[in-house]
Amino acid sequence: MHPLARRSTELGLVIMAGVITAAAYVLASLGKNATIPPIIVPFFVAMLGLLILAHLATRIMARGADATLLPLAAMLHGIGYVMITRLDDHLAGLQTLWSFIGIGAYILTLLVVQRAPDLARYKWTFFVLGAGLLMVPLVPGLGRSVGGAHIWVRVGAINFQPGEFAKILLALFFAGYLYERRELIAASTWRIGPVRLPEPRHLLPVLAAWGFAVVVMVGQKDLGSSLLFFTLFVVMLWVATERALFLVIGAVLFGGAAYTSFRLFGHVKDRVNIWIDPWSRYSGKGYQIVQGMFAVGDGGLGGAGLGQGHPGLIPAVQNDFIFAGIAEELGLFGATAVLMSFVLIVGAGLRVAIRAERPFEKLLATGLTTLLGVQAFIIIGGVIRVVPLTGITLPFVSYGGSSLVANYILLALLIRVSDSTSRRIGELPDEPTINERYAAWKLRRRIRKDPSPTRGSGLGAGP
Amino acid sequence: MNKQIRRLAAAMLVCYLVLFVQLNLLQVVKRDELAAKPNNTRAVLREFDKPRGSIITTDGLIIADSIPSAPGDKYKYQRRYTAGDLFANLTGYYTFAYGATKLEKKYNDVLTGSTSEQQLRAITNILSSTDNTGSVKLTIRADLQLVAKNALGEREGSVVMMDPRTGAVLAMWSWPSFDPNEVVIHDDVKAGDVITLFNALPGKPTLNNAYQERYMPGSAFKIVTTGIALENHALDLTSTFDDERQWLPPQTNNPIENYQGELCGGDLATVFARSCNTPFARTGALMGADVMVAGTQKWGIGEKIPFDLPGGAESHFGSVEDFKDATPRLAIDSFGQGDDLIVPMQMAMFASTVANGGVMMQPYVVDETLDHSGATLDTTTPKAWKTPISPDTAAILNQLMVGVVQRGTAKCCLQLDNGVQAAAKTGTAQLNALGEQQRSHAWITAFAPAEAPQYAVAVVLKGVNDEISDGTGGRLAGPIAKTMLDYALAHPLAGS
Repeated sequence: MHPLARRSTELGLVIMAGVITAAAYVLASLGKNATIPPIIVPFFVAMLGLLILAHLATRIMARGADATLLPLAAMLHGIGYVMITRLDDHLAGLQTLWSFIGIGAYILTLLVVQRAPDLARYKWTFFVLGAGLLMVPLVPGLGRSVGGAHIWVRVGAINFQPGEFAKILLALFFAGYLYERRELIAASTWRIGPVRLPEPRHLLPVLAAWGFAVVVMVGQKDLGSSLLFFTLFVVMLWVATERALFLVIGAVLFGGAAYTSFRLFGHVKDRVNIWIDPWSRYSGKGYQIVQGMFAVGDGGLGGAGLGQGHPGLIPAVQNDFIFAGIAEELGLFGATAVLMSFVLIVGAGLRVAIRAERPFEKLLATGLTTLLGVQAFIIIGGVIRVVPLTGITLPFVSYGGSSLVANYILLALLIRVSDSTSRRIGELPDEPTINERYAAWKLRRRIRKDPSPTRGSGLGAGP
Repeated sequence: MNKQIRRLAAAMLVCYLVLFVQLNLLQVVKRDELAAKPNNTRAVLREFDKPRGSIITTDGLIIADSIPSAPGDKYKYQRRYTAGDLFANLTGYYTFAYGATKLEKKYNDVLTGSTSEQQLRAITNILSSTDNTGSVKLTIRADLQLVAKNALGEREGSVVMMDPRTGAVLAMWSWPSFDPNEVVIHDDVKAGDVITLFNALPGKPTLNNAYQERYMPGSAFKIVTTGIALENHALDLTSTFDDERQWLPPQTNNPIENYQGELCGGDLATVFARSCNTPFARTGALMGADVMVAGTQKWGIGEKIPFDLPGGAESHFGSVEDFKDATPRLAIDSFGQGDDLIVPMQMAMFASTVANGGVMMQPYVVDETLDHSGATLDTTTPKAWKTPISPDTAAILNQLMVGVVQRGTAKCCLQLDNGVQAAAKTGTAQLNALGEQQRSHAWITAFAPAEAPQYAVAVVLKGVNDEISDGTGGRLAGPIAKTMLDYALAHPLAGS
């Protein structure tokens, strides 16, 4: 496909996502109150406007980028939004606001990050920022504990989860650091018996970043995020070094860490026990997951219909358990659509990674995609009891400002890498960015005003 | 690095495939298993989001229906009992957290439209998506029910009226009752408090006393003893008894006395009409435990009454074992004292049996069930349950019970309007032992017209206070039976 045709495809798909969302919105209202929502027209106009705005931003600032990423995110965002409006009017209002801010963050990220490779330069900044963000909830007076996890920060009236942003910063850091040192690490000149390991000094910053993240997350009882960081680290190390040894080490480390925390921490043990047998713990800690399973089972093939199930019975359904609500009301078909959307996003993200020529961009795209794909897997798997449940949001779908904004930033970075690649491989001319054009325009204007700026002044200081 | 990224993609795909498989397991394979888990309330919740069919009296009053809830309610429909407490103990109630009772429970499938017949009939108009909830039409007449309520007033007791020819229950009222509207509110916690309160109240308002409770019958039981004696030729109309105040049965020093120690005797019609005790005590003792126990069983005593409301009580008469070497006890039980316990509805069935020529019909309150379009699903066909006595015996008992009204214990209070002849037997069941505070239930069971019976009625007033305990079955329960019979005879149901 010609890179410019991609934008038309994207526009079509984005409009389709908008229409599906609007239809779902009407159905949910019909199912719940048997009325067509009075604000459907302004709703539809605002939503479509927002999506088209995001599309235009992509068209202007990243016109060579993959055409499916934005529509898929819009689709998931739409389904999640409809579920949230159907669950809670108050949260619906807030989520509307967060949707605007999320798309805003998407556009802003495209605007700020115009040259993907430039990001590699700021790897230590990202490291410090990421580490700092992870620490913030532990600062007395700022941190807040919600549902046992100490992962919230309150600044004024705004609560946010810094972990959602820290994951992107750490992915940026890993990509920046590993692309530089990957050969040194892969060379593995340090022999222990038959095993060759990389020089500790090359690996240290990565280990430090990872260890820090995991320890902090465990300290905050945020198991989902710890697992996510761990996976991110192992996957990026493996892809960067091309050595499967790191997967083995990762698995061993993970096994050890998991076993230790199982023995040491009551809440980890609880999670595992609930996973193994939620039924006997129905009246206690297993209540949420059992209600979630009931909801999923009740959905059957076609679902109860939007607005016609009882997802409200599941605690935190608008958040971690939103997938159970979707499976209940949209059935196997709807839940599979959500799964497929994530599979397609992961596919598109990894295609961006494979197409990327520069190792930094390759690693960055891999890391960001891994974050999205693994996060969705962890929470969906937790809800339907494939893995122990660890509280974490479902990207684009769950209620929550931090999650939505962070994932739109992540999406914008993927889009940026994708666009950068298509210019790199010559699909599009490598035009100057808006910043560069602006700098050039300023320069030209200065020249026009004063045709011989420096030279002139030097030479013109004659007698 | 591309090789690794491709492998990563494959690994992710496998992960999502696992999710997809598990989703299929939960939503398709294990769906029914999950739905059947005891804590899963979703199926019930779904019922609460659908309208529920109506319960209708035979004269067309809708006594239970569903109306749309107020906006913002957690369920879409509100169950409503239009006549307050009047039919509470027939309809029962239907709640989310505390289940259903009575007809709401028994006919849940019809009312929700989930019988296979209804599902089948709804298939044809599945596209028009009309609701397929059925309704239940009762044999109960709303007017008779109201008459019963007013006649009983605020005295604890029950009134049951039935058609002796079919067993159809026309009225079934007990006081105290309760308002089921207070139980079906959607605030589960508050509803639970109300139910707990109702269940704890004295007089058991949430039990239908007319068929879920049983009381000592007193002399009203003499219908049964006389029936058994006539069938076994231990008595006939020519039998006579000497006047006596008391009789000392073998094996005891405690004599059996007539009511208030009166001198009582004469032929069978006289002792039946005056309700002497000793003749029936002697007759029971004479026939022996084997005959009496077998005889009471033929009247359905000690057996669950087949009835379309759940949770009925069983009447009680001792077993052969109980009366072994206990002739005094057999004698006492034979005139309705001692251990005897009769369900009020069954008392109405005793009169009905006599009225119906010896055949005891199976009682029922549900006339027919209807589908969403009003077409009949199921109609109750009257069925005979027991045939305790022959038509000849029934004719004699009829004559004896007419005597009770003409010159006996019901003479005061059961002279019907327009000279219609009623037949009856009264009972005043002594609950207290000698020397204790006087406590007695007041009973009457009657039918009319005696020559071609259309209505049978039983009334019991519980001996919970002096007002009732100082009176007799004839004086207290008699007027209620008269009100019921007069009204029913004057207002036959149109079409029947």
